[in-house]
Amino acid sequence: MSAAPVRADPIEEHVAALAAVLHGPERDKARMLDELRDGLVDTADALVEQGLSGHAAARRAVREFGTVGQLAPSFQHELTLIQARHTARAVALTVPVLLACWYLVGMADLAQGRQLPAAAQLLAAATGGVAATAALCAAASLACTGALARRLPVWHRLPLVVAWTGTTAGIAFALSALALTTASAMSGNWQLSALAGAATLVVHARVAASARVCRECARLPAGGPVPA
Amino acid sequence: MRDDAVRGHLDGLLLAVLESGPLHGYAIIAAVQERSRGALELRKGTIYPALNRLERLGLLRSEWESVGERRRRRYRLTDAGRRSLATERAAWREFTAAIGSVLDPAPGAAT
Repeated sequence: MSAAPVRADPIEEHVAALAAVLHGPERDKARMLDELRDGLVDTADALVEQGLSGHAAARRAVREFGTVGQLAPSFQHELTLIQARHTARAVALTVPVLLACWYLVGMADLAQGRQLPAAAQLLAAATGGVAATAALCAAASLACTGALARRLPVWHRLPLVVAWTGTTAGIAFALSALALTTASAMSGNWQLSALAGAATLVVHARVAASARVCRECARLPAGGPVPA
Repeated sequence: MRDDAVRGHLDGLLLAVLESGPLHGYAIIAAVQERSRGALELRKGTIYPALNRLERLGLLRSEWESVGERRRRRYRLTDAGRRSLATERAAWREFTAAIGSVLDPAPGAAT
């Protein structure tokens, strides 16, 4: 005698299929899918009360909620914007701290009558300018995708712009870290320079990783009309 | 009414059913269907990203609450959400009045 085949849960299958095509910050993705699962279960429970079997109710709930193809564009659009906001926030918050850090290193060297090598100073000025511009772009993007989006539609290429802003800031941080590390080897105050270089490297890793996910999300097809 | 016709008014519908108090996702769907007496065909799954978007815009606030063994996310209107709903209502009344006066002119008004 063989056991009856176990039928897969249509709700879990549907949520898993949707999860497989969505990209973005894991916590937000999980939250949105958890809510969707809750809604499907509630709908199926209501259908069971109306007399359907558990499996038939789950299948009908899935049908009423929409196919993966119908749901994925709106879920992905929201996840892409959330990721863009994460990246923009990372850039906007860390750049001022790093600029202050670099400034303190420069001031400490000056106070001791020393200066960074000319090449390092030039590189620091250039990367500082790039990082500051990136921070301004990131802050503007945060505003455009937040409360301001009540009045203005979000430009569909904004997530891509944020992704490349984050990438540019990440490159600027990497170059700065290189300059600071090199300078620290030559500097009398090498501990402070090395510390600033290490902090810059940590921030570079965080911003670059966020920008990479943002680029992946932004490359995905928008699909359908783009809400604010 | 078809789903694509409803989609353009989804924000207003969601804000309107939350006006009387906080609700979770399924209760919001049920409230829209109950108020429309089942006339509005809502693709139910699309309300979740819509709720997320309204929260991002600052029109809703949400929090998790435990119901028995399950956790549910409940949404409530913010002050900005109430103002947005009032604006949506005014715009809708103006729109329906204008269309109504053309489609269904008062007797003696047609020329």
